[in-house]
Amino acid sequence: MKKLILAGCLAFASLAAHAQYEQVNLTVFGMDCAPCAHAIHVSMKGIPGVNTVDVDLNTGLVSIKLAAENNASMRQFNQAVEKNGFTHKDAEVIAKGKLTGTAGAFFLEVSGTPDRYALSPAAANIDLTSLLGKTVTVTGVVPQAAKGKVSDALRYKTITEVR
Amino acid sequence: MKSHLILACALALPCAAWASDHGPVFSYATPVNSQGEVSFDTGIFGRNGSAGTQLSTGSGFGYGVTPHLTLTFLLPATFGSGSLAESRMIAGGEWSAGASWRFLHSVTSVGKRIESTASLAIVAPGPQQDSGVLGNLHRAPGVAGTLATGLASRSQYLWAGAGYTRFAEASNDRRPDTLSWSGVYGYRPAKLRRGYDQWDYRGFAELTGEHTGNVQTAGAILPNSTTTSVWLGPSVLAIFKNIAISGGAQAPVFRDASGSIYGREHIRFAINFSYLKYSSHTAAH
Repeated sequence: MKKLILAGCLAFASLAAHAQYEQVNLTVFGMDCAPCAHAIHVSMKGIPGVNTVDVDLNTGLVSIKLAAENNASMRQFNQAVEKNGFTHKDAEVIAKGKLTGTAGAFFLEVSGTPDRYALSPAAANIDLTSLLGKTVTVTGVVPQAAKGKVSDALRYKTITEVR
Repeated sequence: MKSHLILACALALPCAAWASDHGPVFSYATPVNSQGEVSFDTGIFGRNGSAGTQLSTGSGFGYGVTPHLTLTFLLPATFGSGSLAESRMIAGGEWSAGASWRFLHSVTSVGKRIESTASLAIVAPGPQQDSGVLGNLHRAPGVAGTLATGLASRSQYLWAGAGYTRFAEASNDRRPDTLSWSGVYGYRPAKLRRGYDQWDYRGFAELTGEHTGNVQTAGAILPNSTTTSVWLGPSVLAIFKNIAISGGAQAPVFRDASGSIYGREHIRFAINFSYLKYSSHTAAH
């Protein structure tokens, strides 16, 4: 019984530590018509872990909500845009990951993906030292990257520890 | 030998044909397929004149190799017996295979882009003989090149394009070289700038023109066989997700053609249906 409880605790701990994007709001330039949006919708839905996709043609905003425990990466979101001939701009994200680095140079590592972002504050600086090594939820903006690239920076708005 | 050379040159070049489904029905435009997208177009294209009516049902297939390179293939079928001048703006009785390369793609803001597309296609005689003067000619393959440039946005579209087709000689006959051009303005009213899960409509005013060269028959030029005409008319495009229907008609605003050879062409019309199959494949990270 003790072993069972221990296994359950370990499973829960690994679940909590497993990180991923929860939501990505990506601005896309160049979509002028319904088939453009439909093409983006089909491409995004083809990424494993994507739950829902909404495309607003008038604002160019592509809102992606993801399932828990997904491994979708920012590169895949960008590729889904590029393959349809459009341009990706800034992306607002809610992502879970491990806070690494040193005091003064913090990184968010999104496990299960190669995504690793250097964190910088969007507004007031927050002391993140106490969160080092912990799993956190970050809301912020991943700036536009060149075609085929993913930005290595994330301007965070909030960071909270995942308990 | 000359025909084989033209064929080889066309196949060696990585590009080719017409833009369909996202654009106007008569004019040249810049849209190409997205990567992995398969498109199918079919429609009825008609020409009516004092020397008869000609209908054709071109069926086109497109495949997006990359976001900017699309391979195209057109199956021809023609009906009727109109003695009409050569036309490259309206699908005729030739097979066509080639590629379209969007070599300029500048995205300036949400919903707006400026782009240019070049196409090159090899055209080959279809199974059906033309009617009228062109029907008496031995037919050989040719090469068709087009260039289109313009702007697409949520509210307005503006494209200009030109094309040139040259046919090889067969048994001392040669179909006329054709120079064609087009300008098109499109508009989507504010009320119709809606979500992508609703029908998307836009209207176009299409101005097209063609100049066909001399017809060569039995090694000699047929006198007065060149033509020049300019056409103007509206068209409408309706799209719902991956299905598009477009239609339009054009009337002549300028005609310079021998009445005894070609008669007087009065109207051109087209109805086109498109099906677009987008790829959901995205590479793993």
